[in-house]
Amino acid sequence: MEQTEVMKPETLDELIAVLHKIFESDCINVEEVQNIMESYESKPHEWMKYAKFDQFRYTRNLVDEGNEKFNLMILCWGEGHGSSIHDHANSHCFMKLLQGQLKETLFDWPDRKSHGNMVQKSQRILQESKVAYINDSIGLHRVENVSHTECAVSLHLYSPPFETCQTFDQRTGHKNTVKMTFWSKYGEKTPFTTVSQENN
Amino acid sequence: MESHEGAAAARDCVLDFSRLSLNTFNADNISGDRKSDTRQLFLNYNRLSSLPSSVSLFYNLEILDISNNGLTDLCEGITRLTKLKTLLAKNNRLDEFSLPKDFGSLQLEVLNFSGNRFEEIPLQCTKLMRLQSLSIGGNRLKSIPAEIEYLTSLEMLYLGGNLISDIPPELAHLPYLTYLVLCDNRIQSVPPQLARLHSLRSLSLHNNLLTYLPREILSLVHLEELSLRGNPLVVRFVKEMIYDPPSLLELAGRTIKSRNIPYCPYDMPYNLVRYLDLASKCPNPKCAGVYFDSCVRQIKFIDFCGKYRLPLMHYLCSPECTSPCSSNPQSDAESEEENSVPADRLQRVLLG
Repeated sequence: MEQTEVMKPETLDELIAVLHKIFESDCINVEEVQNIMESYESKPHEWMKYAKFDQFRYTRNLVDEGNEKFNLMILCWGEGHGSSIHDHANSHCFMKLLQGQLKETLFDWPDRKSHGNMVQKSQRILQESKVAYINDSIGLHRVENVSHTECAVSLHLYSPPFETCQTFDQRTGHKNTVKMTFWSKYGEKTPFTTVSQENN
Repeated sequence: MESHEGAAAARDCVLDFSRLSLNTFNADNISGDRKSDTRQLFLNYNRLSSLPSSVSLFYNLEILDISNNGLTDLCEGITRLTKLKTLLAKNNRLDEFSLPKDFGSLQLEVLNFSGNRFEEIPLQCTKLMRLQSLSIGGNRLKSIPAEIEYLTSLEMLYLGGNLISDIPPELAHLPYLTYLVLCDNRIQSVPPQLARLHSLRSLSLHNNLLTYLPREILSLVHLEELSLRGNPLVVRFVKEMIYDPPSLLELAGRTIKSRNIPYCPYDMPYNLVRYLDLASKCPNPKCAGVYFDSCVRQIKFIDFCGKYRLPLMHYLCSPECTSPCSSNPQSDAESEEENSVPADRLQRVLLG
């Protein structure tokens, strides 16, 4: 498969520019996007303005709206912060560790037979600079910062962008549609955020 | 590598000696003026095995970061930093014997000892009257001392990743506590007194040994985040109610009290008179019964914002004591007042 010839993005702005180009086409080469994101070496001073933490839970901070083809955002995870089990609304999801580590636990979609309890399929610790990929056909996942001493910061790309997703109760498989909100956009804290309804 | 005049500009009042592979910190080359101007001193990510007493010469210091070194104790000199507000000492080798005797006299507002080797929260820490934020995550704490209640300014308490098996009810005496993290411990039950933490906005209990919660938890009206994943929470109705049958003494006592059988102190031995005085009213408001030592612990499921069923523990005087319209134990729509928990209370239950 042909890949667009691109240079390794040296800065976050360069990465964003490359992503804009790649996503001009409607056909996404998952490996290509993963490689491009992985090759960007995280420079905290480039993304620090987006990295706004909340004491009580992880935050989503919009970086770029990607010409409506994708959303690029930075998630900030305090010690012990984790997400619910969730799907990705039929979109591609790429996640790159900019700082710290995150644990990703994969689950299958609950089915009528399993009568509750969702059992994890697999688990891994994503190291700094690595990029993980998931979509609904692969399954569902929970992402957590399990460290009690370090924060984590991750860069997420979703294509196409989505505003709602489903969250799942691990004990019962019960699902719930939630609206996702941004803690900040383009480095500015969003005024009066109704805290995300995402049940973690 | 010896220390040198720091990289930061003097006008910032910040001295940044972090990530320099320092084995020791020698403040001799720093002028007296510079020392007294310094408000923030960063010594994190070095190889210090001890903190020299000369740190006390930075007498206007407000923020000190000595995280990620190999510190086994804190020098006595640190207690002379009367203006110190924030002390970060994550990822060292500190334990409850590492703190100087007068550590409690510091005016600290933020203290972070996460990633050390504490097996107990040292009593000196409980004397920090101005402390607003305390983190001792990822240590070896087996318990929380009752003296935690002395930290009356505390708003944030992070104790995740320890070996804690019990929560002392004294924790409920902290009037400003908004964020309480107890995840990744060995907690089997939550004392109902925690319902007194009216300021609590976030409670993290994931990865513990909880099978149920006390029903009083519903009175935490400002609670917005509650994480319960990774607990062996009871899912289906427990058919066998947990009940130790009452003794004959208890049964006799209950009959006397609930039927108002008159008696006077001369009718029976004094110890029985005293026993009768210990009768407790059944917590079920719809029941007029009493109990002494034996009550039923029953788990009821509260349908929660139409989403999850939380197992909450109820105490009743006997297995017959249930709300009148529920004779089918399988029904989760009890006609108790908790059933209609408004959806805006406990909005985000982090059950996972």
